[in-house]
Amino acid sequence: MKRLLNGIRVIDFTWIGAGSFTTKLLADLGADVIKIETSTRLDSLRIARPFKDGVSGVNRSGYFADRNSSKRSITVNAKHADGLQLIRRLIADADIVANNFTPGVMEKIGLGYDAVREIRPQVVYASMSMQGTTGPEKDYLGYGLIIGALTGLQHLTGLPEREPAGTGTNYPDHIPNPTHAAFAILAALRHARRTGEGQFIDIAQTEPTLALMGPWILNSAFNGRVDDRRGNTHPDMAPHGVYPCDGDDRWIAIAVADDAQWLALCSVLNLPRHERWAAVAGRLADSDVIDAEIAMRSREWNGPALMHALQAAGISAGVVNNAADVLTTDPQLQARGHWVTLDHPEMGPSIYNAPPFRFSDAHSSPSSPAPLLGQHTQEICRELLGLSAADTARLVENGALV
Amino acid sequence: MEQIYKSAAACAGVRVLDMGAALGNYCAKLFADLGAEVTLVEPVDGTRARTMAPHLEGRRDADSSLYFQYTNTNKRSIALDLSTPRGQDLFRQMVVEADLLIECGVPGEMEALGLGYATLRAWNPRLVMASITPFGQTGPYAGWKGEDLVAMALGGMMSLGGYVDSPPMVPFGYQGIAAANLFAAVASLAALHDAEASGEGQHIDVSMQECVVMGMENAVQFFDLEGTIRGRTAGRQREAGSGVFRCKDGYIYLMAAGVGANRFWGNTIEWLAEEGIEGVDALRDARWANRDYLSTQEAKDTFARVFNGFALRYTKAELYQRGQARRIPIAPVNTPADVLESVQLGERGFLLDVMPEEYGDAAFTSAGKFPGAPSQFSATPWQMHSLAPRLGQHTEEILSSLGIAEATQAELFAEGVVR
Repeated sequence: MKRLLNGIRVIDFTWIGAGSFTTKLLADLGADVIKIETSTRLDSLRIARPFKDGVSGVNRSGYFADRNSSKRSITVNAKHADGLQLIRRLIADADIVANNFTPGVMEKIGLGYDAVREIRPQVVYASMSMQGTTGPEKDYLGYGLIIGALTGLQHLTGLPEREPAGTGTNYPDHIPNPTHAAFAILAALRHARRTGEGQFIDIAQTEPTLALMGPWILNSAFNGRVDDRRGNTHPDMAPHGVYPCDGDDRWIAIAVADDAQWLALCSVLNLPRHERWAAVAGRLADSDVIDAEIAMRSREWNGPALMHALQAAGISAGVVNNAADVLTTDPQLQARGHWVTLDHPEMGPSIYNAPPFRFSDAHSSPSSPAPLLGQHTQEICRELLGLSAADTARLVENGALV
Repeated sequence: MEQIYKSAAACAGVRVLDMGAALGNYCAKLFADLGAEVTLVEPVDGTRARTMAPHLEGRRDADSSLYFQYTNTNKRSIALDLSTPRGQDLFRQMVVEADLLIECGVPGEMEALGLGYATLRAWNPRLVMASITPFGQTGPYAGWKGEDLVAMALGGMMSLGGYVDSPPMVPFGYQGIAAANLFAAVASLAALHDAEASGEGQHIDVSMQECVVMGMENAVQFFDLEGTIRGRTAGRQREAGSGVFRCKDGYIYLMAAGVGANRFWGNTIEWLAEEGIEGVDALRDARWANRDYLSTQEAKDTFARVFNGFALRYTKAELYQRGQARRIPIAPVNTPADVLESVQLGERGFLLDVMPEEYGDAAFTSAGKFPGAPSQFSATPWQMHSLAPRLGQHTEEILSSLGIAEATQAELFAEGVVR
């Protein structure tokens, strides 16, 4: 079977979270993604936990590995004149150039959009700084959690009477930014293919997450209603919550979408059937009481057993899977082949996420593990730059290929 | 930088049929906002997304859902009864002309209607069809019900969110639904990339649960490589200097140590020192360069003792500006109202001023701001040219474009095949 982005080459300056995940999507879809690295300034994810066997090392981070499957790595120092020249040659027949530096960094090393389009006019050049290349806050720095705070997601998640809980992760790095960025890049690639015209894409890493907050931004803008934290409740469904199950820190999520499901829930859990709870308005009004009634019963149940009983009765319910559960016990993720074990040259067999979609007639899983730092330097010099082994050795020696 | 604007849109000429609801509508919006011709194919009583909160104040009708309004800009709507032979015939004519079909039926529902991918592909070999469901088309949970909350639970993200002493907390804003739409959009555009060259479409199977798993950060790798299970941390610092801190008028989020290399710690300490904060010397010694030490309770307590009183002196805006000026990753914990007032977003033109009268027959009666382009393109700009359609607003127009005579159209309306 084919890979959908075969034949597309990406010269990839991205690092850390959102940028590397964007180009992972392209790489797992079959693009030839060449990660430009230098040992003089490491991608800080290479030295972020967790490490294989808990032992640190630039080729041992699982966080880095999962974000960089299916890519090739060349170590080349752009601040060295020869190194810059080699990068310019790699760009000369590339389709996409991507980075997630603060604005001005690429310009400073001589690889800003204006310089790159001189070399390659039809290139799609994607820039993913935290706040975009324009505006008074363009030089500000941050990570996914900082973006969660700026966009309202942190404020809106958690209990109203307590401090904002947020997602507990750098969520914008993992889903909103990489997906919006990959979509934008593929759209611009289509335009380039049809017209020969390249372009500059300016992605502010706050804006994709804000795009997902649209309905609640409209609620503030059009209704003057500023949403607040609402725990696990839902404006139109009750009960809708997370309830304890038997065991240590085991929980089940239950979402009752209509009155028939409510009756089914009453049957499974033997809940009291008050007349005023027959319709959703009454259940929303009494949701605290109902939640307590459910929790009193759910805690007697094994989580998976209750989940199966509720789903069999037509109710949307699922246990809260932790990291071990999603990897080792969830039968659905296993049936879909979500987890892929790849044999990394230093880490050995280790776990990677496959992209969360399947094609009827194309591959959708990583083709290779994350590269070692500079693993493909020789190969890329030989195949793409036509350098002899002696030339390459000289460039390593003089500090260009490090 | 010179900005070259041309009229061409990146998705010009791409024809999309959007049979989705919450699962599907945002995916199709991404195409519509880049110039694709997107048609909502709704049941005659309207897509379920039209009932989703929040609503325009004081209204409960087919056009009052702000969720629907936001996720359906730049689309046309036809209301069509696919259970009728005549409805199916109209649908076939639309499929023949389409590049991408997005649907969110229960697995097997399209086949039961006689509209499975094999049939559609026989009609149109280059058709890409994206099926977005809670758990995917196959596997033991394929037929299960999965609201956003449940997908967030089974997909694992919820195990990382919430307070140490509370149940897991679901992220606000249906992020599971969002994730499914987003990954479906990437897969669809990749499949179109290939279909436009090869003439061969694909069926894409997207599972919301599986999309949610992508948001587990490094937790699965922690389990795989170090055998530890990450839990919930809200209400406490993630590590010393990282987390939510109360200030004069709300909260700020600080990541004093950044991610990976501890690059910014010194900047925070210098700031506190210049402000004359008592006890800052306790944060200076070599231990603070070690991330393992930052994870200890002792380090968190020490940091809180020094920082908490300082943060309370200032507003979130003041801490944001002053901290960032010193290259410290710090931000205000904004509300949606704060977002609307952001100078940065204003300068970038991210928030669009929407005057309903400029969009013809719109559901809105008041003016307000809409979130705009999630990506800015120099050559093929993102555009909003129309607000979400009313149910069946374009039915006649679409029937006419299929070459159906007026008398026949009247019959179709009378029989309830279309609306």
